Amino acid sequence: MSVLVCENLQKTFHSHGRSTRAVQGVSLRVGPGEVLAFLGPNGAGKTTTIKMIAGLVRPDAGTVRVAGRDPHRDPWALRQLGAVLEGNRNVYWRLTPLENLEYFGVLRGLSAATARRRGRLLLERFNLTDKQNALTQQLSRGMQQKLAIAVSLVHEPSLLLLDEPTLGLDVEAAETVKRMVRELAAGGQAIVLTTHQLDVAQQLSHRVAIIREGRIIAEDRTDALLARFSGEQYEIEVVGEIDAARRERLRALGAEPLNGRVVYLGVPEGLWDVLDALRPLTILRVEKDRADLTEVFLKLIREEERA
Amino acid sequence: MLRLIGIEFKRSLLMLRRYPMEMVGQLIVITMIFYGLFLGARYIAGPTAQFGERLDALVVGYVLWTFALFAIGDLSWGLMDEARTGTLEQVFLSPYGPSRVYLARNVAGLLVTLALNLGILLLIQLLTGVRLDFSPAVLAPLGAVLLGAYGLGFMLGALALLFKRIQAFLNLFQFVLMFLIMTPFEQFSGTARLAGELLPMTIGAGQLRTLMARGEAFDPVVFGLALASGLAYLIAGLWVFGSAVRAAKERGLLGGY
Repeated sequence: MSVLVCENLQKTFHSHGRSTRAVQGVSLRVGPGEVLAFLGPNGAGKTTTIKMIAGLVRPDAGTVRVAGRDPHRDPWALRQLGAVLEGNRNVYWRLTPLENLEYFGVLRGLSAATARRRGRLLLERFNLTDKQNALTQQLSRGMQQKLAIAVSLVHEPSLLLLDEPTLGLDVEAAETVKRMVRELAAGGQAIVLTTHQLDVAQQLSHRVAIIREGRIIAEDRTDALLARFSGEQYEIEVVGEIDAARRERLRALGAEPLNGRVVYLGVPEGLWDVLDALRPLTILRVEKDRADLTEVFLKLIREEERA
Repeated sequence: MLRLIGIEFKRSLLMLRRYPMEMVGQLIVITMIFYGLFLGARYIAGPTAQFGERLDALVVGYVLWTFALFAIGDLSWGLMDEARTGTLEQVFLSPYGPSRVYLARNVAGLLVTLALNLGILLLIQLLTGVRLDFSPAVLAPLGAVLLGAYGLGFMLGALALLFKRIQAFLNLFQFVLMFLIMTPFEQFSGTARLAGELLPMTIGAGQLRTLMARGEAFDPVVFGLALASGLAYLIAGLWVFGSAVRAAKERGLLGGY
């Protein structure tokens, strides 16, 4: 059963006599333990969609269900939702991490005692226990972001919305946040992740949805999408000169010897014959051409632009 | 709701404990402004002038004005500040809804506001030599004034939500508030009195002046009218705020500047 079900979401903003169709028929589903990377260029409709899911922007049409409940009609549906929103502090800088966890826990419907108890556990889990009584404004950016994620989890929601969770973090802090996202998903948390850092999306997501000008232009499992855009060729890097006889044999097998490497475009089983032809040269690397999410993203966006 | 009030109370106490100088600064500045006005008036009137009951009424009005300023300003300034710093949307993610959260915040902030204004009152009394009549009965019209103040606070909060930057308007509104609280409508007659008493907080403010400055007896009928006015403005304020929340969600206005 899906934790998040959005059907045909539509939103048009009107300002100074102009209308902007921000979201046009977006439908999404996310199951337990699944990370959906929701990607798109600036102004594509990501944040509007996320805010419609969170009940912060009312859709003109379409429905949102979080754990079966509509946050636009039933405020207690928000009990099943946690969010870290981009460009926001998300927590009070004049309170300590533990005070923030207690405050927002009660705001989400917990008793103060439960919020404190869960808050301590989350601080321990996120390695913030030694900072629990420091003022949040004195924490590093990475720690503040970890705290924001901890706060969004204090009421144990079914769905977590993470809008640019690694933006502006140093390498170490970004790695910690990525590890946390993986752990949360492994524990059954449904997560919608928006980010412009496509390598992060590739590393973390099980599925990808790409939005452009308010419409979803691609949605698939991350590995399937990458495979769809990956080539069939293998590249073999060798040490030493490939002599003329080997070159001829390689060409007969459908491989093209280039400077210090061989490109093979035949069937996968034929790769063994190519490797055999290279014997006894030292092989440095054998790699199948594999697109990364950045290539896929750019190809799709450009294809749409041309269309 | 009690949970919400409890946690908001804890939050306001933590802020107070952590940043006490903010409150002390406010207390000193507000008292000094009144003392400056008092010295100026005495200079103009000459050293032998006796202000009597009028000064008492002015002190009551001034302290009540600062009280209403805090009660009204907390919500609208708070909303603008939260929109700027980026915690507003997290508050709106509460299943209790923003109206209840901010109402709880108002109730919780009451004690701090009360302590601050009591401090201002005591300092002004010390500086001017005014002696006011304190009795438990003053709490009733004070409560009625507060209900009206919170109602106005929610209306201004609605403006802050929809138009974001309303600092200039809020600064001007202080003078509107001064007019509402310090004008002695209870001493007017006819249509002027009726029109004045339809405005927010005026009946309660008048009863406070009657009790504390003129030392007259508590009139339950006047209090009933003050309470009805306070409740009507609170309900209207909550309705306007709720409508503004819906409009802000419709137009995608929540969030940062």
